Amino acid sequence: MAGLTKSGVVYDARGLVEPDPEPPMTAEIDGDRAVIDATELTTRKINLELKRIVYDEGVNDVTIVNPGSKHSLGVGILKRCRITFEGSPGWYACGLIDGPEVQINGRVGWALGENMMSGSIVVEGPAGSLTGAALRGGDIVVKGSVGARTGIDQKGGTIITLGKAGINTGFMMQRGRQIICGDANDGLGDSMYDGFIYVGGRIASLGVDCVPAEMDESDHEFINRKFEIYDLGTPPELQKFECGKVLHNYDALEPSERKLVL
Amino acid sequence: MAKRTVAIDAEALAGHSFPYQHDISLVEDMDLMAATPGGDLNWLEDILLLEEDGTPAVFDRYSNSFLKIYFDIPEGRGDEYARKVLMTHLTTGNSYGIQLKEKHCKFHQVELGPWVADSKSVGDNYTPPVLEGWEAPAH
Repeated sequence: MAGLTKSGVVYDARGLVEPDPEPPMTAEIDGDRAVIDATELTTRKINLELKRIVYDEGVNDVTIVNPGSKHSLGVGILKRCRITFEGSPGWYACGLIDGPEVQINGRVGWALGENMMSGSIVVEGPAGSLTGAALRGGDIVVKGSVGARTGIDQKGGTIITLGKAGINTGFMMQRGRQIICGDANDGLGDSMYDGFIYVGGRIASLGVDCVPAEMDESDHEFINRKFEIYDLGTPPELQKFECGKVLHNYDALEPSERKLVL
Repeated sequence: MAKRTVAIDAEALAGHSFPYQHDISLVEDMDLMAATPGGDLNWLEDILLLEEDGTPAVFDRYSNSFLKIYFDIPEGRGDEYARKVLMTHLTTGNSYGIQLKEKHCKFHQVELGPWVADSKSVGDNYTPPVLEGWEAPAH
């Protein structure tokens, strides 16, 4: 049973659903650039408009103003383009993307870039829990701090945090890399299978099977390259951590298990 | 008796191998930096030369299959050539995952993914398959 609110936004009986599948056609397009004002639009309408102009109108550079912390904005974009948020998106922003380079001039809620395949996301402020959950590839840069379980189940890619990281960051990490410039809370890298975590600040405690490792030339090359690309200045002194391979070992598992995280 | 296999191989999915698995000259010109977002290799950083059935191979995450490499790989450049073979496979549309898009994609997207500019769109006219002779039960 659909209902109409005072604002004219349509919801169905299940909650925050926008049943109308038509894009609102409200973007201001100027060549290959466009601006979407999200003030009066629901999440679905914003995403429909974003996909319309990126896929159908040949727009390569989109600015979304007034995102209003709405959830699930900019998800599922599978094309190279630039997306800028002037303001703060809510939970699950830019999940499942494959290609876009995203700039967020604000803060974000939980699960930024969840399951991202490729591209980059740069956040000028802090990000909530589960940042980069199940990240498969590409870069996430958070210039503030991140919440708990950042990079949980990470399967590739790089997460750079200039601030602090919450509890259980890198939990069950399977591949990829994290650079945390500030402090890390309890349980860093708990039950990680693979991948590397670099930490510049104090570590409250290491998680199960997360052990210190030696930095080598390739680590320094990688860290310096990422800091240069994203204009992050000089990286701090970092400690490296990896999986001790006591808790989990792929060699003892079915080969197909390992393929699942490639 | 039909041959059974537990391996997931790009050749098994396609029914044949591809020329760029055999001829290094067909992948030499692949510009990896141009094919990826940002100022470095981005997601390709996680793509490494692996081995499948004793043969050098690269893993195609878009079809969950290994793509074997039969040409001689120059020493010390294994990851680079693994990435070049994979990107050639993807950009030519030969990845089985990409071939499935035309028929099974439920949402609007570009067929060849983010690596090829001006790739055609798929997923606009998806209709769910109908099982012949089956009717939805009355509720």
